[in-house]
Amino acid sequence: MTPPRMLRIVLIVLWISLFAWSAEGWAETVYVQAKTAQLRAGKTSLDAVVGNVKFGDALEVVGRDGSWVEVKTAVGAKGWIFANKTSSSKPSGTNDTLAKLGQSMRGGDASATTASAGARGLDKASEGYANRAGVSARDRDAVDRMTAYQIPDQEVEEFLREGGLGEYAK
Amino acid sequence: MRNNHGLAAALIALSLTVAGCAEVQRASEDIARQSGNPRLAGAIHGVGNVVGSLFPIGYDEESSIGQAMALQVVARYGGVVDQPELVRYVNLVGRAVANTSDRPDIPYRVAILEHDSINAFAAPAGYIFVTRGLLKQVRNEAELAAVLGHEIAHVSQKHILDVIQRSKRLAGVTEAGLSYATSNPAAFKTVIDGAVKKLLDEGLDQEKETEADTIGEVFATRVGYDADAYVGFLTRLRDLKGDDRALFKTHPNFSARIEAVQKTIQGKHLAATGVVLQERFARMTKRV
Repeated sequence: MTPPRMLRIVLIVLWISLFAWSAEGWAETVYVQAKTAQLRAGKTSLDAVVGNVKFGDALEVVGRDGSWVEVKTAVGAKGWIFANKTSSSKPSGTNDTLAKLGQSMRGGDASATTASAGARGLDKASEGYANRAGVSARDRDAVDRMTAYQIPDQEVEEFLREGGLGEYAK
Repeated sequence: MRNNHGLAAALIALSLTVAGCAEVQRASEDIARQSGNPRLAGAIHGVGNVVGSLFPIGYDEESSIGQAMALQVVARYGGVVDQPELVRYVNLVGRAVANTSDRPDIPYRVAILEHDSINAFAAPAGYIFVTRGLLKQVRNEAELAAVLGHEIAHVSQKHILDVIQRSKRLAGVTEAGLSYATSNPAAFKTVIDGAVKKLLDEGLDQEKETEADTIGEVFATRVGYDADAYVGFLTRLRDLKGDDRALFKTHPNFSARIEAVQKTIQGKHLAATGVVLQERFARMTKRV
């Protein structure tokens, strides 16, 4: 192989590699910026739901059209998502590593302080506070019920649909 | 001997900071205690708290703070409204806004306080309150969404938690009863009472209120509510109460707030969609 020919081959290989790297590097990623979101077969809320994604999921952008973004999930599923439910930056989430570490350092006992949604009863810390502060049984019950109050996501979705809000905008 | 204890504690603090390992801290404490040196164990424990106080408050701790503050808010404002349909409606609007906020991954609940003043509050971990008096001033769902957006923004931006952490640092307090809520209830009560006083009586920094106005406006418009609705609401309150901060004692005056929101609308090109849902609001709130 003559030197100029070898050089040509090396340059071609380099060019192909660079192109492949660039295509990968330029692939735009968005993140789900909503509690949950649906992927649809088309870019309207009338199109069939083809998948569900959740807060923080990374999605590769395939295309955009108006208020909708066509995306591909990590497992290769494709669909359209309402643009207002995405963000170009990765959301940090509620209990990040630093917060967990801090609680651990301070000697936190999650089982003593956790008030999980849906569970009835004040947590130990609040119960202790209510006793010391002299909060009435009526007011304790009000906060207890407030803590436990839940509305299923499906009902929120229906509420948005009825009002023509979000992806159901007319 | 005392110097040795200090040196050991300092070295352990350094290793904890570098390694970020709570298990190491606890193991060191145990070893010191078992070897008959409770003072060293105490020193290591204290060092862990100092290091831990530099980290943000986690959701479990936040949840305890929010629930305890909610107890005090409800107690001071005369209880909550018990009208299931109305409460459900207000929660649906809140959830619609919160679900596409910057912090949609925690539960949000809205309670209506049985009080005629015009006010709204947010305690950490998604405990949101609006007064019956405020609901009487709201004219449509888009205005309600913006008001709730403001409160959700306080939660998403962790404004109250920031106040608590700063006040702890200023006071040099490292063990202020957050994770120690059960083992040191007196300290926990001090923290909660201080935070409630800030929330209900003194008010947050004006910068935080302005931030909540502008971010809340973005949250409400993300759902599709008309961007001009909040300006309409604030303008009505200014016409009603003037600009002397008599109404929202704890907030910047209305003119400044309106100007900040208008700047956000223009700067971020938020849409006047015309979606205010006045009829649905009137139907759902007729018993307010």
